[in-house]
Amino acid sequence: MLTMNNVSKVFRTDTIETTALQSFSLQVNEGDFVAVTGPSGSGKTTFLNIAGLLESFEDGDYLLDGQSVKHLTDKQLSRLRNEKIGFIFQSFNLIPDLNLFDNVDVPLRYRKLSKAERKQRIEHSLEIVGLANRMQHLPSQLSGGQQQRVAIARALAGDPLFLLADEPTGNLDSKMADSVMSLLEDINANGTTIVMVTHDHAQAERAQRHIQVLDGKVTEQHNGPVTAVPLRA
Amino acid sequence: MNHIGPIFRALLRNKVGAVLIALQVAVTMTIIVNAIHLITSRDDLMSRDSGLDESNQFYITTIGYDQNYDARYVTDSDLDLLRNVPGVVDAIQINALPMSNSGSSRTIKNAAGEDAGDAGAAVYYVDDHAVNAMGIELLAGENFKPTDITWREMNKGDWPQTVMITATLATSLFPDLEPQQAVGRTLYTGDDEPMTVVAVIKQLHAPWVGWGNIEHAMLVPQKSDSVYAHYLVRTSPGSRDAVMPQAVAQMEQRDVGRMVLEHDTVNQLRSDSYRNDTALQSILWVIIVTLMIITALGIVGLISFTINRRRRQIGTRRALGASRGDIISYFLTENVLITFTGVVIGCAGSVALNMWLVSTFDLPRLNLIYLPIAMLALLAVGLLAVYGPALRAAHISPATATRNI
Repeated sequence: MLTMNNVSKVFRTDTIETTALQSFSLQVNEGDFVAVTGPSGSGKTTFLNIAGLLESFEDGDYLLDGQSVKHLTDKQLSRLRNEKIGFIFQSFNLIPDLNLFDNVDVPLRYRKLSKAERKQRIEHSLEIVGLANRMQHLPSQLSGGQQQRVAIARALAGDPLFLLADEPTGNLDSKMADSVMSLLEDINANGTTIVMVTHDHAQAERAQRHIQVLDGKVTEQHNGPVTAVPLRA
Repeated sequence: MNHIGPIFRALLRNKVGAVLIALQVAVTMTIIVNAIHLITSRDDLMSRDSGLDESNQFYITTIGYDQNYDARYVTDSDLDLLRNVPGVVDAIQINALPMSNSGSSRTIKNAAGEDAGDAGAAVYYVDDHAVNAMGIELLAGENFKPTDITWREMNKGDWPQTVMITATLATSLFPDLEPQQAVGRTLYTGDDEPMTVVAVIKQLHAPWVGWGNIEHAMLVPQKSDSVYAHYLVRTSPGSRDAVMPQAVAQMEQRDVGRMVLEHDTVNQLRSDSYRNDTALQSILWVIIVTLMIITALGIVGLISFTINRRRRQIGTRRALGASRGDIISYFLTENVLITFTGVVIGCAGSVALNMWLVSTFDLPRLNLIYLPIAMLALLAVGLLAVYGPALRAAHISPATATRNI
């Protein structure tokens, strides 16, 4: 599903070259729940950006669902992001002037789905995260944990190939973080592949696979506990 | 336009900047619509037909300086000279030039006595060559005969017995008649001095371009023996610019105690007379362009500020699948909504301002065709103004979504 072979990324200024990823290789299979950890500056965010088609890379290859993304145009990348990837951001990245319904609707409109289908998907995904009764609320009327649940609903609504989560519990207190992690586990248990970047080893241990990154390379991979938790209603 | 609903709802929740820009657009539209209306109204005034064959005419003004200056001899001999210059169709001495903003007028009555209907009219003292030299058209009646022409001495009121009047003056004096039916009627001026209308002129302007009755004019068969003399010369089509310097040179060569004071084309005379109107138009155009630029800059400023404030949001939209075109489309749509609101308010404002101008300054009513034109122009300005910032927004990296700003 997601295959990176010897991917390298170098950031250049006039005077400095910084290698963010160096011969980075990773295979994520359908149904995986992969946690990527590493210290600050290790390259995990660069990995996330490249995996999410948010940034380009120099060397190596990246196959998404069997398709090499290296030479795709900006428009093709946008379309792939929209159709195949569900993003969950550390700061939720909800649009403050839109209510929950409209927030979840954002990626669906870019896919130009019919109004009826969008409505059905929005209601269903908000139901999964337990916020179907607050569709007309603004993000500012929700707690952090609830906002992250909306972001998860937004990611799920597009029925993506996999979810890409960037420190999904980084801005939450421990109780809310646990709640969000449980939700992600439920979603994974229901068959959705998840790749999660985190600095929190305790959270990472809840994933099926735990990958550690250092100096832009995968340094360690091991399988975590398989938590086949039944999906909550 | 796929996002029009959410954009509209988002604007309603965050409306201060949008409302200010919409109001700016509304004020701009109100002012430019009325300014364009004033400009075109001036155009209508400035392009009025004077009745003259302007493009083939020039004038020469002379002044006698010699102590023994013989105005009658010089005038007649100058007219002989001018009429014989090759290319000249005809020439007359005239007391005032149409559109020169300087001339004389009289009150003309349609009957004797104090209760008679009257009208003001510009008076041109001319001879029997006037119809040909001025290039005017007679609707009815006949030209003056050579025997009708007398000399008019300064400050002596020997009023002639025949007169030609314009159709508009005829209608004012005899509202129940067709203008042509004024021929043969008797008019009165001064101390009920009678004069017979021998012809009705289709069109002839008075000297004063700002006068409401500019089409009230009359020709009187008299020549003036003043030291000042204006000569109006008509040339064959296309030869004016070659003939004028020759005629002036020949006039200047004659040593008869007078000098040529001024000469120019009638086209230039018209242009000079309407200079204030032209200046007003220029000022209004400057105001229109300035307002458009200020409005465009206001939109650029608001959108640039908005984009800077929403960099993360734009990056998030890109990450969620928005193409660069989607981002440009988003900001263009947002701007159309704001500008459209502004121009709708501006329509009402334009009509209201015009109603006030009509009631206060007696200006003509607004032609409503300007409203859709101004709406489209402002929408176009808005789109052009927003396109640059929107293009910059479209180039915000989707990776901005994952940066902790």
